[in-house]
Amino acid sequence: MTAQDKAAPGKLIFDYDQANTGHIHTDEDGIKDRFPERECLPLPDVSEMQVIRHYTELSRKNYGIDTDIYPLGSCTMKYNPRVNEDMARLPGFAGMHPCAPPSHVQGALEVMWELQEALKEITGMDAFSLQPAAGSQGELLGVMIAKRYFADMGERRTRIIIPDSAHGTNPATAATCRFQTVTVRSDERGNMDLDGFRQAIGDDVAVVMITNPNTLGFYEEHLQEITDLSRKHGTLLYCDGANMNAMLGISKPAEQGFDMMHLNLHKTFSTPHGGGGPGGGALGVRSFLEEYLPVPRVVKHDSGSTFDLDHNYEKSIGKVHSFYGNFGIMLRALAYIKSWGSDIVNVSEAALLNANYLLGLIRESYDVPYDRRCAHEFVVSARRFGKRSALNMAKRMIDYGFHPPTVYFPLIVKEALMIEPTETESKETLDRLAGALAAIASEMDQNPNMLDGAPHTTATGRLDEVMAARRLDLRWKPPEE
Amino acid sequence: MNYIPHTEEHISEMLAAIGCQTVDELVPRQVPRAARLDLGKPMSEMEMVSYIQSLAAKNTQTKCFAGGGSYDHYIPSAIGHIVLRGEFLTSYTPYQAEASQGVLQALYEYQSYICLLTGMDVSNASLYDGASALAEAVFLAHSYTKRRGVFVDEGLNPAYLRVLRTYCEGADIFISDVINDDVACVIQQTPAFDGSIKDPTHMAEKAHRNGSLLISCISDPTSLAIIRPPGEAGADIVTGEGQSFGIPRSFGGPCLGFMAVRSALTKKLPGRIVGATQDKSGRRGFVLTLQAREQFIRRERATSNITTNQTLLALSATIYLALLGRTGLRSVARTSYRRAHRLQQMLCTRGFRTMTPGPFYNEFLVETPRPAADILERLQQHGILGGITVDDHRLLICCTEKNTMPNIKTYARNASVQ
Repeated sequence: MTAQDKAAPGKLIFDYDQANTGHIHTDEDGIKDRFPERECLPLPDVSEMQVIRHYTELSRKNYGIDTDIYPLGSCTMKYNPRVNEDMARLPGFAGMHPCAPPSHVQGALEVMWELQEALKEITGMDAFSLQPAAGSQGELLGVMIAKRYFADMGERRTRIIIPDSAHGTNPATAATCRFQTVTVRSDERGNMDLDGFRQAIGDDVAVVMITNPNTLGFYEEHLQEITDLSRKHGTLLYCDGANMNAMLGISKPAEQGFDMMHLNLHKTFSTPHGGGGPGGGALGVRSFLEEYLPVPRVVKHDSGSTFDLDHNYEKSIGKVHSFYGNFGIMLRALAYIKSWGSDIVNVSEAALLNANYLLGLIRESYDVPYDRRCAHEFVVSARRFGKRSALNMAKRMIDYGFHPPTVYFPLIVKEALMIEPTETESKETLDRLAGALAAIASEMDQNPNMLDGAPHTTATGRLDEVMAARRLDLRWKPPEE
Repeated sequence: MNYIPHTEEHISEMLAAIGCQTVDELVPRQVPRAARLDLGKPMSEMEMVSYIQSLAAKNTQTKCFAGGGSYDHYIPSAIGHIVLRGEFLTSYTPYQAEASQGVLQALYEYQSYICLLTGMDVSNASLYDGASALAEAVFLAHSYTKRRGVFVDEGLNPAYLRVLRTYCEGADIFISDVINDDVACVIQQTPAFDGSIKDPTHMAEKAHRNGSLLISCISDPTSLAIIRPPGEAGADIVTGEGQSFGIPRSFGGPCLGFMAVRSALTKKLPGRIVGATQDKSGRRGFVLTLQAREQFIRRERATSNITTNQTLLALSATIYLALLGRTGLRSVARTSYRRAHRLQQMLCTRGFRTMTPGPFYNEFLVETPRPAADILERLQQHGILGGITVDDHRLLICCTEKNTMPNIKTYARNASVQ
C-alpha cells in the first residue's frame, strides 16, 4: 500500500487519482464530426481493490440497525431480514425490463397484485396504487387525487387541515398542490384539539390529514368526532400511515373513517432504509376514489391466473413514476408480509409493548409532556437540562454506542426526544438503552460542559453545521491545471 | 423466521413493569379493533423463498434490446458487495452526521460525480426517478421565475410527459405551446426519446432570451462520457435517470433521479444536499446542509415535499463510477454507441427505415417493414426482447455493451425474416 492509499479523514475517491485531468484525445469513432463531443472527463481511474477499501472504510464510519438499536422516532428502524435482499436480487426479478410484454412478466405482476391484496386486508382500503416511491410522494398523489375529485364535483375547496404535531411533509404537500394549510393545535392529551377543529372545518376544506398514531406517539382519541364533522362538510380524511407499525392487525384505517392513506413500505414492512431510500409509499383509497388512481394498474384476468397492465382508466390522475413504482421494494414488503402471514399482529403488539416498557424505564430521567400510555413510540423532553440539551444528549448517545433518537420533533414539544424502539429489540437492549439515557441525564445535571463537546469517540468531533451552510462546499473540483 | 426476540417470561416482566395484563390495554377504547387479518399462514424462510422463486420463474428472461428509460448496462459485482454492508444498508437519512460519515461522504462523492458528468455547479443527493426529477425541476423553475408555464420540446419520453402533466395539474402549472413571457422553463431531453442527440446551445439561447430556464433531461447518463455535457451548452438545470449507473432494471424501480443546477439556483434545490465542513480540531467531515429549504424545517414553505430519496442507489451509482472510472465509462459509452449503430445499419439494409433524425447515441427509432408486434414476437422466440413498440409500425431499439455482436446478428437476421 502506498502512502496515498492510506485513508485520511475525508479523503475522497477522487484524491486517489489526481494526476490525470481527464482530457480525451482519441476519437476512434469519428464522433466529433457528428455531434459536440466531450473533451474532458475528469473521473478518477482507480483499481477495484482501492474502491473496495475506500467504501469499506466509509461503511465503518456509519451506524446502522445492524450496529445496535437505532431508536430514530417516526422512522421505524426495525431489523431488515436479509433473505428479502436475496429475493429482490433474483435474476428473474432484478433483470426484468419494465417494458417487456405482460406475458414475460407474469411473476412480477403477481407480486404487485398480491401485495395490493395484502395491503387492502391490512388497512381496509378498497384499492391500492404502488407507484409512489416514498411516503411523501404517496401524500402528494393523495392530495392531487383529492384536488381532482373536488374539481370533478364542481367544488372549489382551498384549505387542508393539519394538526400541529404533523410531519413537515403534510403542509409541504398541501402547499405543492396550492392548498392553504390550516394548523389545528393539540390538546392537553396530545390529541387534535376538538374545539380548534370545529372552528377550522368548513365547506371549503378539501382534506383533513391526520397521522395515526400521531407523531407524539398517541392514538388519536377524537377520530369519531373528527370523522363525523368532516363527513358533514364533505371533507376527505387522509391518513398519513407513517406510524402503521402500531396498527397491524389492531385497527384498520378505513374502519377508523379514513378515505385514503399512504403506507411507508420501508418502515412498516421492513425494507432497508438504505441511508435514506429507496422506500415505497403505496397509496390506498376507498372505492369512490379508485377510478382516480394512477395508470397503469395491475389487473387480474377473469380466468383468474393471468395478469395484465391496464392503462385505460379515463378518470385516472395520470402517473407519478417513470414506470410502476419501486418494484424491488414491493417485492421485499411482500416477502415480509408472507413470512408473518396473519400473525403480523404480533409485530404491532410487540412494538407497543417495547415502547411502553422503555417509556416506563426513562420517565424519571426526562420530562414526559403528556401523561398517557403511548403506542409504538413516544416523545419526552430534555428541557429541564436547558437549551440545546436535546442536541447534546443526542451527540452524547453516539459515545455510548447508540444511534440518537429523533430530536426537536415534533415541534410542539421543547427539546423533544422522539424514541421508537420497534418490535425487533429485546428487553435486554431496551434496558441497556434506558441505562444510557439515564446516565446521560445525570451527566447533563452534573457536567453539562462535557456534553457540549460530544461526541468524543467518533472519527470527527461535532461537525460545524453553520460553517457548512455559510461556506458551501458541495462537491469535489478537479485541480486547476 | 423469528424477528421478535421476546421470551414469554420477558413479555410477562415487561407487562408487569408497565402495569398491564395484556397489550390490548395499551390501545384506547376509542380505536376500533380489527378482526383477525386474513393473510394466510406464516411462511418459514424456506417456504417463503420457494414461493418467491416460483413467482420469479413465471418471468421470462431475455436478451434485452429495450431502453426507453431503463437500460441493460453491465453491473459490476463489487457494487452489490458494498451496498449490502449493513452499516450502509440499514442506516437512514444522516441527520446525525457524526454517526453517518460513511453515507454522507459517499453522497458528497455522488454529488461531485453528477456535477462532473453534467458540467453543472451543484447537485442534490438524489430524487426518486427521472420522471419526478423532471417535475421537481419544473417546480424549481416556477419558484425561481414566478412564471406558471412550461414548454416541452419534442422528444421527451412520453411517460415523463405523463408524470409532468400529473404534477403540473396538481400545482396549477400549465404546459405551453409557445415560448412566451409566461414560460418558466423549456424542457429538452437529450438523447431524446428517439435516441437523437440534441445540442442544447440553441434552445438555451432561445430560453434565456425569453427569461426562461433550460432544463436538460437525460435518460441514459452513460451518454455523458462522450457527448458534450449540457452544463457546457447553457443548461440551467440538468435532471435525469441514473439507473444506468449500476442499478438493476428491476421491472422499472427503484430508479435514481438526479438533479444538478447552476450555482444561482442552489437554494431552490429540492431534497437533501451534503456539504463538507470541519469539527473543532479542523478535521474534515460531512453534514446535511441548507436544510432550511426542506419540509421538516420549512413546512409549507419548503422547496419540495420530498423526504426519503434514493440514497442507497446514489451509493450504487457512486461505486459504479468509481469502479469504471474515466476509462471504463468511456468504454461503456463507445461500445453502446457502436453496437447501436451497427444494428441500425444492419436493419436499414433489411427493409427497416430509420426514423431518428440526425446523430443518435445508443437508441434509435425505426419504421418496421411488417407490424412491429410480429417482429417482436419472432424475436421473442429467439430469447430477444426486441425493443419498445411506439406504434403499430415503429420500434424503439436500444443497445448497450451487453448486446454482443452475435446477438446483434441474431436480431438482424430474425427481425427481417418473414
